[in-house]
Amino acid sequence: MSSVLPVAHALVARKDLPVPVWLFAWAASIVLIVSFFALSVGWRTPRLEEDRWRPFGTGLSRVLLSFPAQAVYGALGVFLLGVAIYAGLHGTEAPDRNFALTFLYVTTWLGFPLFSVLLGDVFRPFNPWRAVGRAVGGAFTAVAGQRPAHLRYPERLGRWPAAVGLIAVVWLEIVYGASGGVAVGLDPHAAALAALIYSAYTLAMMALFGCEQWCRTGEVFSVYFGMFGQLGCFAAKGGGLGVRRPLAAATRWATVPGSAAVVIASIATTSFDGAQEGAFKGALESTFNDLVDAGIGLTSALRLTDTIFIVLCFLGVGLVYLVGVRGMAGVAGAPSLRKLRMGFAHSLIPIAFAYLVAHYFSLFVFQEQAQFTYLLSDPLGTGTTDLLGTASAGVDYRLLSANAIWYVQVGALVIGHVTGLALAHDRATAYWGDYRQAARSQYWMLAVMIAFTCFGLYLLSVANA
Amino acid sequence: MNSNTTRALLGAAAVVLAVVLLIVLKNGGSDTTATTKGVTTIVVEDGKPVGGIKQLTYNKGEEVRFRVDSDVSDEVHMHGYDIMKDVKAGGSVSFDFPATIEGVFEAELEGRKQQILELTVNP
Repeated sequence: MSSVLPVAHALVARKDLPVPVWLFAWAASIVLIVSFFALSVGWRTPRLEEDRWRPFGTGLSRVLLSFPAQAVYGALGVFLLGVAIYAGLHGTEAPDRNFALTFLYVTTWLGFPLFSVLLGDVFRPFNPWRAVGRAVGGAFTAVAGQRPAHLRYPERLGRWPAAVGLIAVVWLEIVYGASGGVAVGLDPHAAALAALIYSAYTLAMMALFGCEQWCRTGEVFSVYFGMFGQLGCFAAKGGGLGVRRPLAAATRWATVPGSAAVVIASIATTSFDGAQEGAFKGALESTFNDLVDAGIGLTSALRLTDTIFIVLCFLGVGLVYLVGVRGMAGVAGAPSLRKLRMGFAHSLIPIAFAYLVAHYFSLFVFQEQAQFTYLLSDPLGTGTTDLLGTASAGVDYRLLSANAIWYVQVGALVIGHVTGLALAHDRATAYWGDYRQAARSQYWMLAVMIAFTCFGLYLLSVANA
Repeated sequence: MNSNTTRALLGAAAVVLAVVLLIVLKNGGSDTTATTKGVTTIVVEDGKPVGGIKQLTYNKGEEVRFRVDSDVSDEVHMHGYDIMKDVKAGGSVSFDFPATIEGVFEAELEGRKQQILELTVNP
């Protein structure tokens, strides 16, 4: 039996055209030339190991970080999550007309990485679970007269819960949602239920291990958005706002175990989403048909197929990175394998961000028009509510030309590539005292970066093809 | 890095570049996809498109023309362009509009959530 693989499009009415062959070739050539050029002109002593944070705008930060202001951010976060869950449970089942899906999966999931890179870790103050956790903790301290006692968080677990959670969040959207053999994505009701379950799980973990500890290592959204926040030049520290060297904070991010898994999971899930209609289409179809032939129901076979391929993406991306690490370990004067493995993970953050921009930039631009017009005015999608008078507005799909999308996609990958190389190079100069050995170790990371960037370009060139 | 290594690397880069250019020149012709001419008919039987989801390709500015012959009553929704037309069981409905938005779009039987057409508009 041979079935055409049904693919989910909950929200996207306009999909991107594949990047044309000539642009693909130009971009790949630029990537190669830039990479080899970078090797010969690289700096010889580390420049990013210290972030040189210094405070700025003390008056401004006193207002922005004051207790009442923080209470407002937290309350806003809780309110918006509440609206999303309520809309999902009680609103329309049409994914594109319900506030829940666009708010959770586009505005939040794609918006915070972007704003974190630009403004620092902006999710932290709005994090609804952290707000609830802190409020409960504060109330406990006031009533009991002592701070709540927590279990000791297992050090070795590190950020693994966040890495697994990240895959689960994307899995819910593009694997579980692609069910039923029809062109429907995740239904808002299921998204709301998942948000409720996740909230219960998160609050329980916060009660066990402490709110801040769980946000640092286990809470998916804090860890994931916080990771992108390391790239930018703004950060709050010790109760004040400040500026620091761009990229420098990222050099310390991966010191927690499992951090590499988080960034690899990000690259892998974006790759899968980008490849499922292009590069992987044939392989997915044949696996799906094999599973159906083996007697598995259509929906289960589809979910199982996609799940297998997401896991394969994770293993594949991880393997490429580990090969690079293994190669570096062979260069004279290399530190231990474990130190190398953790020491270069942060250089993949720009690649992960570039993948996000390349694959979701147009979706974000289109869907945010919906978010700030009809979805805000009629969150339940009932057609009878019009809070802001914008309920009848539509999405202007003419806003971006195909050329504009291609240039943003390719530009993001090239910039991400160069940034990743810079981070890896800087770390190598810190690990190898001898510059010549440092440069030699970077042949390996160069190969890793070129593999990811060219794979990303390839995915774009066969998208929907 | 000594000059020998640099030269070797530049040589390697040049080779890779040459290979890429060769591939491009070889595939240069395949970049322009043939566009659809005339009126295409999509036949819907038991609520599904006969022969699978129909693919139509146009260049921007051309006229998109297709007809849906359906044995079920539903609403045909051309996404992106947001054109909706009802079709009765055993009836047919015609679409004729200029391809003004670039991208890949789908047309669905809205009630059944069944995709029947993939429309590609190249710049």
